[in-house]
This record gives sequence, structure tokens and C-alpha cells, in this order.
Amino acid sequence: MGDAVTRVVEVPATFDDRSFDQFAGAIGAWPPDARLLIDARGVQWVSPYGLVGLLSAAQALKDQSCPLPLFTMPQNDEVNRYWARSGFYDHAEGLFELHGKVPKHAGGNTETLLAVSPIRAIDDVHRAVTDISTNASRIVVEQLGIKAQETMRFGMALSEACQNIVEHSGSIGWVAAQSYTWRRKLGRKVVVMAVSDSGIGFRRSLEALHARRIGDRWGDGAAIEAGLIQNVSRFRDPGRGQGLALIKRFVLQWDGKIAIRSGTARLSIVPKWDDDVPLAEHIPYFPGSQVQITIPAPEAA
Amino acid sequence: MIQTIRLEQLLRDTPTPLSRHLVTRPTGRAVRGGIERAVAETGCAMAVLDFTEVGLLDMSCADEVVAKLLLAGIACHVVLAGLREDQLEAVDHVLRHHGLAAVALVADSGPYVLGLADEDMRRAFGCVCATGPMTSEALADQLGWRSERAAETLAGLVAQRLACAEGDEFHPLPLP
Repeated sequence: MGDAVTRVVEVPATFDDRSFDQFAGAIGAWPPDARLLIDARGVQWVSPYGLVGLLSAAQALKDQSCPLPLFTMPQNDEVNRYWARSGFYDHAEGLFELHGKVPKHAGGNTETLLAVSPIRAIDDVHRAVTDISTNASRIVVEQLGIKAQETMRFGMALSEACQNIVEHSGSIGWVAAQSYTWRRKLGRKVVVMAVSDSGIGFRRSLEALHARRIGDRWGDGAAIEAGLIQNVSRFRDPGRGQGLALIKRFVLQWDGKIAIRSGTARLSIVPKWDDDVPLAEHIPYFPGSQVQITIPAPEAA
Repeated sequence: MIQTIRLEQLLRDTPTPLSRHLVTRPTGRAVRGGIERAVAETGCAMAVLDFTEVGLLDMSCADEVVAKLLLAGIACHVVLAGLREDQLEAVDHVLRHHGLAAVALVADSGPYVLGLADEDMRRAFGCVCATGPMTSEALADQLGWRSERAAETLAGLVAQRLACAEGDEFHPLPLP
């Protein structure tokens, strides 16, 4: 593969878990047959999922020895400053050839629960848990009206999601969490935690132990279902598989949503307030696994 | 002999202390190793695992520290102390997952059974803790059960290491 040809991949103007399929589709087959130019100039809004997904895309290209992708920053100054404050550019250097001026970012964002952080090893999980625990008591309690003692569960869920990267993905990943007002669907504040890696994905991780049992249905969708709904693991240790069980319980307790994308499928536990489909199959391929957990503020708050 | 093991101290004593949170399996394995060494050194009959000042406890770590310790049967009896509500929930979940049970000491309440124990076991446990050593006949009288039901339930408590048997009598754990 040479790097003479460059293909432009436009980042959707509103870049979140739903529009991510459009982004993955624009990349096309993996590994791409051309150098990619990730064009974020038109982006007006990005979710944590979009930010960690972009880094995972670049990491996957690096893992497959593809040419360093080019990246053009959002033209909207305010949007670009947000990307800087979120910590995206701290990690994007080295993964992208950046085009544009990285804004200086003094101080954090008042709504950032966890800045974009790499998950490469267990000490990164501890760091992420410490950070989100510190910020959760400020943001989750003050802005979402959730009781202080409940904020521990945010850290627990995040810990389990991040550990899956270290234990199962075979690559590195990224995590970020943010609170914002979801006017369109809920008219309420939500906390969104996103975790993404560029590794082997659910299907390859679980294939050796579970593909035969599931038979003809085996694929990305069935593999995510096995992990999230049946709580199986690639390890024979009977204590495994409880991490996603905890996350699922946490999500149901708070009338939240969890969506897991891996390969060509996305499985979601969909609350009443959302219109997503429980299982989307044959969506554009994207390496690794992407998890989004959305917790809304209680209705009375 | 009862040995109280402060998990927050063990976390600090791990070769590369990472945080005050009991999260991740490697951290859990390191802490369980510390508990096993402490129990082996003293040969205690009961280990009280004190979670006071521990931050988060995730499922993976609860599985490594509590469930695997009970499965290994290192100490005769294990009692859990200082657990917050979220930590109680994590431990309860992993114990149920493995079909295990353990006694927890919860502030402002008596000893409490976490994990897999049916209603009969929980009632019998409450009676033994409140009354002290008792035979299965005494339990049957107290709860209005048939003697077989009482004997079977008390045997279940002993099997789950929630009580001790001495001859015909069933004793509560010698809690601190």
C-alpha cells in the first residue's frame, strides 16, 4: 500500500454514536487502501464517543502500519477549543498529522467528568477511576441531582468498561465522560461515558469458546449479545463476565442506555426515552469495540 | 484467634500502589495474596476483612478478593467489615454468582448474610446470632419448624461457614 493517494473522510457535523456509522462507512474497507484525511472542519458538536472513536480509528491505522492519517481541525473556534479542553489533541499528536492551530487550553471544562484518557494498562484504569470519582461528586451530584453515595457506581461501571480494553482487546483504548443537556430527546441533563478501543472486538475475543455453541448465528451481533446479555467471557474462569453484568444493572437502575458497537454490529439496551433499535447489524465495519453508557438525571431533578 | 486485615493498608503495601480503589483483577490478586500471607503467618481461624477507607470496589476486584478467597478456603471463616452500600452490592453479586455466602458486619445493624442464602438460612442465622449456641431442636421450637428443616438449615449455615458446629450445638461466629 502506497501513500500517494489520499481519501477524504468527512466527520459528520454532529458527531456522536449514531452518526458514527456514517464516519465508519466513509472510511470503507479495513485497512483502507489510501491515506486518510479525516476532515473535521465542519464539525459543530461532538460527543465523548466521537472523540474516543476518532482516536481509535487512528490507533487502528497505526496498529496496521497504515500511513499516518491527516486531520483537519474544526473551523468553528469554539468547537475547536472544546476539542482542546476535552484533551483530544493531547493524544491526537502522534496518531494524526494535525492541520490547524491547536488552541491553548488552560483549565478544564466544567462539564467534563473525565478528559479523553488513554487506557493502555491497569494503572490507567486506576487513574481514570480516581479522576471520575473526584469529578463525579462535583458534576453528578450538583448538575444531575444524583445522591453523593450513588456516584461510586459511575466509577465502578467505568472501571469495568476500561478493564475490558486491557484484558480483552489486545490493543489500547480511550475513555472520556461528559455531562450535557440533551434537549432534543430528553430535555434533561445526561452523563455520557464512552470507551473505545481498536483491538480484536467481541467476535474474535469470544470466538474460541462460544462460536460453536451459538452456531450459524455467530457473528458480531451474536458475540456482543453473548457478552452483554449472557455475560460470557473468553476466559474459562467462572468468575468472569460479571463486569458487563454490573454495567447493565447500573444502566437499568438509572433508566439509562448502553450501546456496544463492535465490527459490523451494535447492540443496545434501549430505554423508553430513546428510539434506537436494540440490534443493528450489517452496519459499516469499524475495528475494536466502542461502548457508550448514557445516564439521565432523574426526572424530578 | 481473630485477625483483622485492613485492605486499605494492603492496597498501600502492594508492590506498585496505584490508588485507594479496589479495582481491576491484578489489584485484586495482589490484595488477595496479601490476605493469604497474613492468614498463613498467624494461622488464624477467622479473618475479618476491613474495607474501611477503601474507595471503589468493582466486581472484578470483589471476585478476586472475596469470592476467590472463600473458594480457596484459606481461612476457616471470613467476615467482612466496613463495607459501604455500593461495596456490599458488589460483594453480594459475586458471592451469589459463585453460590457462596459470607457474614458482613454493617454499621448500625447486626451481622448480615451476603450472597447465596435462602430465607430459611437467613432466619436461622438471625436466631443463632441473637440467641447464641443452640441445637436444631431449639431452633425448630423457636421458629415453629419441623426438626428436619431446622437441622438441614443449620447444616447449610455450617457448610457456608456462616456458623460453627460443636457436637449437637450450632454457634454463631465469634465476631469481634
